[in-house]
This record gives sequence, structure tokens and C-alpha cells, in this order.
Amino acid sequence: MIFTVLVALIVAYIIRHYLFTLAALYHKKEQLPYSAHETEYEPTVSVLIPARNEEHVIERILQRMTELTYPKEKIEVIVIDDASTDRTGKRAKKFAEEHKFISVVHRGIEDGGKGKPDVLNCGLKHVSGEIVYCFDADYYPQRDILEKLTACFRDPKVGAVQGRVTVLNEPNTLVTRLVALERTGGYRVDQFARDELELICQFGGTVGGFRKSLLEKLGGWDPNMLTEDTDLTFKVYLAGFKIKYVNHADCYEEAVEDWRSYWHQRSRWAKGHMQCAFRHLWPVIRSKNLRLKEKIDGFLLLNVYFVPIFAGLAWILGAALFLLQPLSWTKILWAAMPISFYSSVGNFAPFFEVGIGAYLDGRNRTYWLLPLLFLTFMFNMLICTKALIDLCISKITGKKRHAWSKTVHNGNGNHYIE
Amino acid sequence: MLKCVLVFLLTGNVERFGHLKVRPNFVHMAVGSGFAAVIILSHFQLVQILDISALVAIIFFNLLFVFLLFPLEGTLLRKLALLFAGNIVGLLWYLIQLSLKEASMFFLSTDAFTIITIVAKPLIDFVWIVSIWSLSLSVLASAKRKTEGLERS
Repeated sequence: MIFTVLVALIVAYIIRHYLFTLAALYHKKEQLPYSAHETEYEPTVSVLIPARNEEHVIERILQRMTELTYPKEKIEVIVIDDASTDRTGKRAKKFAEEHKFISVVHRGIEDGGKGKPDVLNCGLKHVSGEIVYCFDADYYPQRDILEKLTACFRDPKVGAVQGRVTVLNEPNTLVTRLVALERTGGYRVDQFARDELELICQFGGTVGGFRKSLLEKLGGWDPNMLTEDTDLTFKVYLAGFKIKYVNHADCYEEAVEDWRSYWHQRSRWAKGHMQCAFRHLWPVIRSKNLRLKEKIDGFLLLNVYFVPIFAGLAWILGAALFLLQPLSWTKILWAAMPISFYSSVGNFAPFFEVGIGAYLDGRNRTYWLLPLLFLTFMFNMLICTKALIDLCISKITGKKRHAWSKTVHNGNGNHYIE
Repeated sequence: MLKCVLVFLLTGNVERFGHLKVRPNFVHMAVGSGFAAVIILSHFQLVQILDISALVAIIFFNLLFVFLLFPLEGTLLRKLALLFAGNIVGLLWYLIQLSLKEASMFFLSTDAFTIITIVAKPLIDFVWIVSIWSLSLSVLASAKRKTEGLERS
């Protein structure tokens, strides 16, 4: 019985991602009412760049900020130096001295190091723009990314926007190549389809923005959540707004390069996402601001990091049933397991979703890596299981704040740009 | 047509599916479905030899292939050839497993190989399904690029 339920859940995710793949393949021609040199709607924007020990990459993004095509008189860039012990603060200050629209907020050791949500809330106090964007320090956006994203805010129902993330240092290691594939499936197909089908688009924590008024109304970023972005996503929808995904608003990121960093990053994502599931599941189901299809998608999205755990349990149970009590129905359900190993986990996607994403992007040489996605899935099974155990222990011990594991950026993608 | 129905059901917006940029190749899908059905039925003749789970895996592979690859650009003959080759690989995969299982039983008098294949089944099945599907997608995409290159020149 338990095995049947687990397989049914996994098959539900497979069907969901199959529908997303179809939606991404056969999208309509016009995605956004955006035209170059947009002059009708140009609100003031603030760009927050949280930075802690990012000396290898901070100059790259700040240089890019000076190259943005959005009118400089309507943009302000606020770098929040979060108690860095390297030259991040100095390098950012040098840019602030040369460009009036860039400013730096320094946080001391006593205030700093408490995680990204805390840093962003600090930055929010200094914001004067109508729209607030966030970019991580290791990111490298397109020059006209702000125009592409800001155009969406002409719709009063849009509370937030999210652009696309592409991996800059993809050729470096196997991990970066697999992460790049995950991003292709997660953004090019998954997010794109959710926008196309008017479901729950996720704010990814970076390459995105909010209406300042809405952000303040929602109380900013919750410092107790490890994935403040997912938390805000659901707060936006529960408040009656929506998030718009803009596929052609592209931004490069520096992906993790080794399995250890991958583990730490995804552990934080898994724990944070599960926290959001515990917090928002019931409000999503009860909300009067969400349509039925949004509630279903919201339910599936919130539980997505439990899927590897379900898959692992189903694997153990299925193998046991197959060996001990080999009825024909167990054999049939057991056959569903290979396909289920590609269920989505956060930004990840089933192999067919990733493959179609690569096809749509014209990335022909990456198909050969698809079979290796099982490595990340097996890894994620362990990550998600440990994350759930850690979270349960935290609940029992009453621990509210979780340690924030910062991803180290070495600037290894810089040479692809210079 | 399925996509149109899906979009309508999920968005409730009748106007949307009139503006689809890329239309799936329904003719290829229909032919592919028929071809896949014939292949699956012929596999069912081997149910005495093949495991039920092997047959279900082959059905899954055919469903993914027909509904995700057949609608894409490319010649029908190429798609049918890839589908046929994929099914042959799948069939050989399971026949080899069966042979190894029987051989281990006969020569080593042990069920060890059977137990290993059952426990590792998801991984073992995944290897051929994803590999063949990815290879087929790569072939179709390369052919599409060559055609586009020729058209430009």
C-alpha cells in the first residue's frame, strides 16, 4: 500500500514535468510586451548586491552595472558588504567613488555573517527605488536585463519578476556541466512552462525583483528561512500577486565546481525548501487568492524536495516486495522506478525535460551528459534525507535559526568574459 | 491537438492555442504511435521469456519516444529507425540480463545475479532508456542543424 502511494506520487511529478516539457516545446510566439529602448515605463530601480568575501567576483558585477543600458539617473546600486574579511569592501568602494549611482553599505563583525536574508533586509532600509532587484555578487547580467524585467511590472498584478540563470563556468568540471544541465531544465523548460501555463513561477533569490511597496508589506526577507526566495515566492502569491518569469532576461552565474560545495549548497536549499513546505502548505491549500491549478502546482512545488526521499523509500520497499512477495502488480510498479529517478528536485528536472531544454537552446553536445544526471539524483537523495532529519531535530530542539552555508566563489568564470 | 486541449484545460484561454509558434508534427506522432504499438505487441509475444517489468519499461520508453521526439523536426524515416533501434537495444538488454541470470543459476547455483538485478533495477533500466533517448535526440538535433546550415548556404 505504502509502495503504491509512493509510486503514485512520483508518477504525478513525472506527468507534471511531461506537461511542462510539452508546454515549453510548443509555446506561443510572443512571450512579453517588451521592445528595445522602452521609454513608456521606466520606474526608479534599486539593485541590491549582497557580498561577503567576494573579492574575486565583485569587480566583475560592478563593472557590469556601469554598462547597463537602463538610465543611470533612475538606477541605484547598493552593495552590502557583509563583514567581509578580504578586499570586497575596498574594491566595491573604489567603484562607488567613481560612479555616483553605486553605494556601499558596510556591516561590522557584530552585525554581519547572519545570512543573506539579513543582509538584504539591511540593504532594503537604504532603497529609494520603486522596484528592488537582487543580484548575487558572482552574477553577470545582460546589459538590458533591467528593461526586460521591469517591463513586466506594467501589469499591476505582477508583484515580482524572475530572469533566467545560465552557468558561466560550465566547461570547468563535471559538476559545473551537470549543474548547467540542471539549470537548462529548471529555467528553459520548468519555469518557462509554469509561466506559460500560469502556474507558480518561483523567485530564485537572484536575477529577480519586487515592487518595493509589496516587499515592505510582506516584511522583507525572513531571516529564519534558509531559502528566503521560496518563502517570498509563496508570500507574493498568497498576497494576491503573481511572479512573471522572463526567459530572455539572461544572467550568467558561477556554479559550484566540486561535490563538497554542491552538497553544502543543495543541503541549504533542501532544508530551506522543506521549511517553506511546513510553513506554506496549508495556507496555499486554503488561499482564496489562488486558483485550483495554482494550488495543485503550489502543493507539488512545495513538496518537490521530498521526492528524492520518496524515491529512495519506494526503491527500498519495492525491492523488498519484489524479493519477498513478487506479485505482478509490484513488478509493474517497480518498472516505474527508473523513470521516477528523474523527478524534479528544485531546479532539477527529469532527463527528458533537460534534454528538451538543451534541444530548445541548440546545445547539441550536452545530450551525452544526460545519463550522468543519475549521479546528481543519487546525491540529492542523500542530501534531502539528511536535510529532513536535520530539520526534524531542529524542530524538536526548538532551534529557529539555521547556520547559513555560504558558497565560495573563486572567479573561475572570469576568463570566459574578459 | 492534445497540446491544444491541455493548454485550454490548464489556462481556460481559448485564444492561446491559436497562436502556437511551433506546431507538433501530428502525422509523425500518429505513425510513430502505430509503429510503437506494433513493436510493443510483438514484445508481448515474448512475455513467457521477458519479465513483466521489462515489458513495462519498454512501454515507457516507447511512450517517451513517440510523444517527445516524434513531434520534433526531422524525417519520419529517421525517427522510425531510431525508435526501432531503441527497442532492439532494450530487448537485447533484457535478454542479456536473462541469459546472465540463467547462467549464474546453472553454473554457480546461486540467485545472486537475480537479487542484484532486482535491487539495482532502477539504475540498470535507466542506463539504456536515457542513453538511447539522448542519443536519438542528438541525432535529430544534428540533422536539423545540418539542414538549417544547407538552407542558409
